[in-house]
Amino acid sequence: MELADRAVGFLLSLISLSIFTYYTFWVIILPFVESDNFIHNYFLPQEYAILIPVCAGVVLLCFLCMFIGFVMLKFKKKKA
Amino acid sequence: MKHVLKIFSLLVVISALWIGLLQASIIPQSHTWLLPIYFIVSLGCYGLLMVGVGLMRFPTCPQEALLLQQDIGEAKDFLKQRGVDVGSE
Repeated sequence: MELADRAVGFLLSLISLSIFTYYTFWVIILPFVESDNFIHNYFLPQEYAILIPVCAGVVLLCFLCMFIGFVMLKFKKKKA
Repeated sequence: MKHVLKIFSLLVVISALWIGLLQASIIPQSHTWLLPIYFIVSLGCYGLLMVGVGLMRFPTCPQEALLLQQDIGEAKDFLKQRGVDVGSE
């Protein structure tokens, strides 16, 4: 039981660390590297560095609003 | 109300710092434009990391679990003597 918890926790921290290093590399280090270096093949174009977090934030916001609306509707229907 | 004012003033200070950085051009301008998004993403990452680390270090207290099971057994016997049906067996 606690092994499953430990595994999930480890996976979460690994995902967060990898996202952090990839994003740091992408936003801060990559603009200083010359354009024809091989490392650019591993990173998407720079516009996506803004697009992906903004899209993820918008999706999260929509999901939150839908969830709140859903719960409010269910509560109102149960009361009436 | 005062807590909201504190958070709001913090936000105003941070945005003033950002606009000042934009005007002064200490860091190249393209970097300065990306700074707020970078900080938000790194804050989300930090939260996820704390959740993962907390999950990994969560203590299970096996002795307390054993004592708890003994307490539950005693309570069930006690109630069964008094005639209350505990019902889980």
